[in-house]
Amino acid sequence: MSDLLPVAPRIYWLESKAEIIKSARMPQFIIPTIALPPAFYALFALALGQSSAAAATQTLATFGVFAVMGPALFGFGVNIAAERETEQLELKRLSPMPGGAQITAKIAATTVYCAIALMILYALGLVAGVALTAGQWASVLLVHLLSIIPFSLIGIGIGYRFGQGAAVALANIVFLSLAVMGGLWFPIMAMPQVMQSAAWVLPSYHLGEIALMAAGQRNDSFLLLHAGPLLLITLASAIFAWTGERQQSR
Amino acid sequence: MQTDPSLHVARLECVSKSYGGLRVLEDFSFELEPGCVTALLGSNGAGKSTVAGLLTGRLSADVGKVSLFGLDPRDRRARARMGIMLQSAGLPETLTVRELIDLHASHYARRMSTDRVIEQAGLVDLADRRCSKLSGGEQRRVQFALAISGAPDLLVLDEPTTGFDSEARRAMWQLVRAKAEAGTAVLLATHHMDEADALADRIVVIANGGIVADGPPPQIKSQVAGSVLRLRTRLPAARFRNLPDIVKVEERGADLAILTSSPRPTLEAVFQIDPDLQHFEVVGATLEDALENLIMSQSEKEAA
Repeated sequence: MSDLLPVAPRIYWLESKAEIIKSARMPQFIIPTIALPPAFYALFALALGQSSAAAATQTLATFGVFAVMGPALFGFGVNIAAERETEQLELKRLSPMPGGAQITAKIAATTVYCAIALMILYALGLVAGVALTAGQWASVLLVHLLSIIPFSLIGIGIGYRFGQGAAVALANIVFLSLAVMGGLWFPIMAMPQVMQSAAWVLPSYHLGEIALMAAGQRNDSFLLLHAGPLLLITLASAIFAWTGERQQSR
Repeated sequence: MQTDPSLHVARLECVSKSYGGLRVLEDFSFELEPGCVTALLGSNGAGKSTVAGLLTGRLSADVGKVSLFGLDPRDRRARARMGIMLQSAGLPETLTVRELIDLHASHYARRMSTDRVIEQAGLVDLADRRCSKLSGGEQRRVQFALAISGAPDLLVLDEPTTGFDSEARRAMWQLVRAKAEAGTAVLLATHHMDEADALADRIVVIANGGIVADGPPPQIKSQVAGSVLRLRTRLPAARFRNLPDIVKVEERGADLAILTSSPRPTLEAVFQIDPDLQHFEVVGATLEDALENLIMSQSEKEAA
């Protein structure tokens, strides 16, 4: 009977490719998610920057976290909500497609778009005078890529719970508040004490701090102080995503 | 007599299904055979989509057994032999028709070539257009194309022509008919008698969670056929309740509507009761009326 089912890797590849093409043709996705973070970075670090290498490096570390938030939150949250509402996901679920192909394709597409946003950002960083050793570049890249995980899980949770319109609005609110209140645009020290405390529940804050450590801009003996809460937040996001998916497929 | 289970494309055995306390199917048994177009006919909410949902593994039965090609409907090997057209499935806006069909067909080992699917679904002129640029009817044709792209043995179509004009409906019927003639079993859920009549080899009428009639279209048509007499009379409705062949009498606005299985004797009797009758008309019964007619005549048969 296995002659009825085609080889799975090819389906994973084709689904991933289609997912990438779908988003590439959506300016409403590309502009805010891929173009906006590097444009902001150029504004902060190049045009308005204090033109010190340290400032450019610090901004790069936190903006890398900001750059992956867009594709993860919108790519998962908004796309899943839209495809769920129009029963496109349902039709795929009822096809003989391997169960993991859909989510794999979305992860692949998100990773590709995050990588593109990061490459543009890093290129601008070099122009702005960012000075990192090869090891630091590798650590910064690793932290930025790992940032995809919690934001994607939040995106999935939103996508399975809300209709398309609500998901767009909510993803925008989450996107901006995580960026600002997590200290990705400017350090949270500039904010009132209350908001500084609130930042501890935000994944963006901890990822920003860890990225700064990776870039040699923070004392990394405090790594566990941020990695611990981050792990808990990621776990909570995973539960948020998983229960959302469950309640959908009954 | 024991029949070979492999001959059945799909089967529901004594299935019950409720939603939040509301029973949609009650002890429902039903099977689909190869090479046969079966129409599930019923009014909205009668349980058609529930039957389709159970067969496609979208829903699970509370009680009873559902099998598809002898397997659980959730088994990928069973799904590989089925094509589905959901009632309201959207399409990815930024993919072209060709890209989408190519992608969907890749889920099936026995797939048709993309060009053949495009040709059979009548999409040759639209193949390179993005799905967002298609009209509603064209999108339905793409959904049909996706359903046939895996060369299925069973095609499940849930209200395939909702919102179509008559020309588009006939075009869709032709596409389905061609597939059936090539040997594909088709399950068609519809609330249009004319659609069931045009396409089906067998019509299964469902109402109140069960099957009320099951047979070839001419037989079902004669059972559900009926007429409504609309009269404007000064006499009270009660005077008309004992007419021959009538199913029910009800007030509709200022008129009286009499549902009857044979209009002529009923009409003659109406004139005897109200010789001054000036305004009246005889129209074909709607499906809802016809179903009521059918259920009524069945319970009379049981009472006799």
